[in-house]
Parts: sequence; C-alpha cells; structure tokens
Amino acid sequence: MTTALTITNASVPGRLEGLNLSLAPGMLAGLVGPNGSGKSTLLQVAAGLLPTEGGVAWLGRDIGEIPVPERGLLASWVPQEARFEFGFSVRSVVAQGRYARGDDDFGVDDALRQLDLTALAHRPVNRLSGGERQRVLIARALVTQAPLQLWDEPLAALDPRHALEVLMHARRLTQAGATLFFSLHDLRVAHCLDFVVVLHQGRLRAAGPPQLVLTPELLLEVFGVRARQTPGLTLELP
Amino acid sequence: MTPPWVHRIALPVALLLLGLLVVASLAIGDLHLGPTRIFAGLLHQDELAATVLWNIRLPRLLVAMLVGSALASSGLVMQAYFRNSLASPGLLGVSSGGAAGAVVMIGLGWASASIFVLPLAAVVGAMAATIMVIVLARRGASTERLLLAGVALNALLGAVTSYVLSNFTLSYERNAKILFWLLGGLEDRTWEHVIMASPIVLAGALLWPLGRPMDLLSLGAREAQSLGVDIKRLRRSMLVLSTVLTALATAVVGTVGFVGLVVPHLLRLLVGPEHKRLVPLTLIGGAAFVLACDLVGRCTAGGLRVGIVTSLVGGPFFLWLLRRQA
Repeated sequence: MTTALTITNASVPGRLEGLNLSLAPGMLAGLVGPNGSGKSTLLQVAAGLLPTEGGVAWLGRDIGEIPVPERGLLASWVPQEARFEFGFSVRSVVAQGRYARGDDDFGVDDALRQLDLTALAHRPVNRLSGGERQRVLIARALVTQAPLQLWDEPLAALDPRHALEVLMHARRLTQAGATLFFSLHDLRVAHCLDFVVVLHQGRLRAAGPPQLVLTPELLLEVFGVRARQTPGLTLELP
Repeated sequence: MTPPWVHRIALPVALLLLGLLVVASLAIGDLHLGPTRIFAGLLHQDELAATVLWNIRLPRLLVAMLVGSALASSGLVMQAYFRNSLASPGLLGVSSGGAAGAVVMIGLGWASASIFVLPLAAVVGAMAATIMVIVLARRGASTERLLLAGVALNALLGAVTSYVLSNFTLSYERNAKILFWLLGGLEDRTWEHVIMASPIVLAGALLWPLGRPMDLLSLGAREAQSLGVDIKRLRRSMLVLSTVLTALATAVVGTVGFVGLVVPHLLRLLVGPEHKRLVPLTLIGGAAFVLACDLVGRCTAGGLRVGIVTSLVGGPFFLWLLRRQA
C-alpha cells in the first residue's frame, strides 16, 4: 500500500538529523516536541519547501519529480503565522487556495462558513487578530482539497471553541481520505489523534499510536513534565 | 473594502483621464492648438501645427507615457517582490544604478556610438543595483532595512556619478548631458527616444499574466510555492522585468523619482491590492501621472522639469506614507 507521506533520512544542518517517517493515508497525525525541536522544519521539509538531504515522497512519488504547479494539487502547507503587508480581503486570500485548480472559486464559501469567517469575508487580512488570521490560513488550506495537509501549529492562536471546530474539520478531512499532519503543543489533544510523532533536538524520538508513544517516561524525558490522570476540565462543542 | 462599482468604472475612468491629458499635452505650449488644429496638424493639413506636433509634442508625449508606465509598473512589481509597499525603483537605488550606467557611458564618450548604448548601460547599472539591494535587504525585509539599503545604494551610486562628473576630462556638452540625466527631463525628446523606450510596451505586456501569481507571492513566498506557484521562475521574471522597465525609462529621460511609489499606492487605495486590476491600471495611471506632472511643469512660469515636479509631489507623499505606517 502506498503511504501518504514518506520521509527518508532527511537532514537539515543544525535543525534536523537523519529523520525517517511514513504516514498512512487517512491518518490524523500530530507532531509534538519542545520549542526548537524542529517541528516547523520537519513540516517544511515534508511540504517540499526546504532543501534537504534525503528524500520526501507524496503518495509514493518522489517530490523532486513532481512539477511545481502539480505540487499545489497534492499537498497544502499552513505556516505557523503569517505577516500580511497588503490588504487583500479574507475571501480573496481563502480563494487563493484554488490557484492550482485554475482559480475556480470552488468551496470557498463553504470554507469561510466552516471557519466562522463569513462575517469577516470582506475585511482586509492585515486588520485581523492573530487567531482570525490563522483561521483564514486554515480555510485556504481546506479549499485546496489537497490529499496531504501539513499544518504548523494551527491551534496555537485559537480560542477553545474555534480550536475544537478546527479539530472537528480535521477529523472530517481524514475521514474523507486526506492525511493531516500537524504540529501542536497540547499533549491532551495529541492523545486523541491516530498517530503521534515526537521530535527531540532535531531527531525522531518516537512515532506511533499516542497510547503507546506518550508514556509518562517519554514525557518526563522529552518535555520534563510529569503526567498524572486527574478529573480536570473537559471541553467539547455543544 | 472597495465597493464593486469602483472596480467597474476604474479602468474606463483611467482611460478617459489619460485621453484628456493626451489632448491637453498636444494642445498646450508656446503655440496653443485647438482640437481642430491638432486634427489638421496630425493629418499634415496645417503646416505649422504639423511641425510642432510631429517634431516636438508627439515624441515628448509618447516618451512621457512610456516612461510613466514603466516606472509605475516597475514600482508595483518591486512592492510585490519585497512584500513592502514602500519599495520603488527610486528609493531602492535601482534608478540611480541605471543613471550611473548611463552617465559612465556618456563620460567615456561612447553614448553617441549607437542609440542602444545608453539603454544597455542603464540595464547593466540597474541590474547591478537590484542585485545589491537584494543582497542587502532580502525579501520580506522590514521597511527600515529596505530603506536603509536604498539610502546606502543611492549614496554609493551617486558617488559613481560624481566621480565621472569631476574626474573625467569632459567637454561642456558632455557635462550638460550628464546634468540632464540627474535632473530628469522630457525636453528635446525625439523619435529616436521613442524608439529607445519602445521595448517598454513589450515588458508591460509580459507583466500582464504575472498579476495573479504576484497576488500569492505578495502574501509570502513559501505559502505561494505550496499553493503551486513556481516561485523561482516568477521571481526571476519579476526581477528582470522591473529592472529593465526602470532602466529603459532612466535611459530615455534620466532619473524621474517617486512615480513607482505614488502611482501604485494611490491605485491600491482606490481599487484594492489585487494585481489583475493593479497591473493594467498602473500602466495607464503611470502614463497619466507623468503626463500630468509634465503639463504642470510646462505651465509653470519659467518651466519646471518633470523630475522636479514628480519629486515635489512624491516627496511629501512618501513622508505621509511613512507617518501613516508608523
């Protein structure tokens, strides 16, 4: 069976070392690790945006052999944060996700609705809050309909409700066959995913189902925290 | 946000405005010509009007329009490239690079060898300046960094020009020609200058299809690449086009400042940042702006050169923009 994403012996000097990873199609996979462990670097390598030693393949095809315009059809990358210099409208930025498909505008209004952006559709993006900007970037990724989605800390600036909604849309995406690989800091959220990749000092420390990977020993070693099961606050969408 | 009716009328209004300015600049001068005499002159039915129009006003008009379109669209492209709305050929030193190239050729006495010497020298000078500013400022650089790189380059290239002026054994004629470059003017432009500037039309046409990918690039290079834009190719095209546009304009009229800053900015305020609208409007708006500045200069007592008028408009505008950004 072809994997959705295969990374073979990827290295970026000073940031990532000899990393091997493969993700099966339809997987909702999380990438965790302390600050500076190389999460953003790994996602950019996976998206084909950083030159790397080693290989990256999408759906069994080496990305070096995929022409740039076609790459836009296969994978979508969401940056950790975006600086918008020009006042494009929210809607026009989301519609950019259709660039590789001939700017057909398909699914743009749906994505705006899903990310709660309909009311902001005509607002200039350079006048949005951090969380609103992040939702715009996620909406743009959704409209690409790319089978491989690589999101860099999509939940970081979101309030609890929008974070839960994004997770819900992420789950729907993978149920429809797409593969989503995203970085996050909330280990409780990571516990609910299909697969977790743990990075530590630029190396792959562990990868697998969260129940097997996120053990108290690993959390102590990698993050320096002690895990304890307590009856805490659980949030869900109404 | 810009209301849709503004988008619908922007292009027709710009064309109408340009048309009016064209008529005005054919009509106004030492010899005032009414519409009927302009018509008769263009058809060679009125000897005096024909001489004035065909030998003086038409070449000047065409050069002004070509130069305006070139400088304004060059500024637009640089702003998308650097993702900074204050980038423009004058402020970044690209115009100075073009002028330095041309001045060196004039100083060496090679400029009269062929009409292609000056444009080529200007392209080489402007390209060197563009490469230096990229190395100094990098893409997506902060405004401060970009402007400081421009200040440094303008000073450096100004030194080259001053060196040629002071250290070459120059005839009075060559010195006068160099001063002409530094002031930027449309006086005594001939059909030869129109031919020199004519590749601007081609460069402007090549710019047209880059509008959409430029939208994506202006919001981030990696984002654009992940959405399917061939960033390397796009950047190369943008760089070559914007540099050649500035260099050709500089080769024909010398340094005319602030056009690349003022025109794209005003149009962005009017119709929003989308390049599919901005590219055609900037080409037309740039032509209209330089024509208008030339008309103002011609109507001022004693006459003001077009480069002085654009700077008198653009300088305060730039300061206003800086204040607004802060």
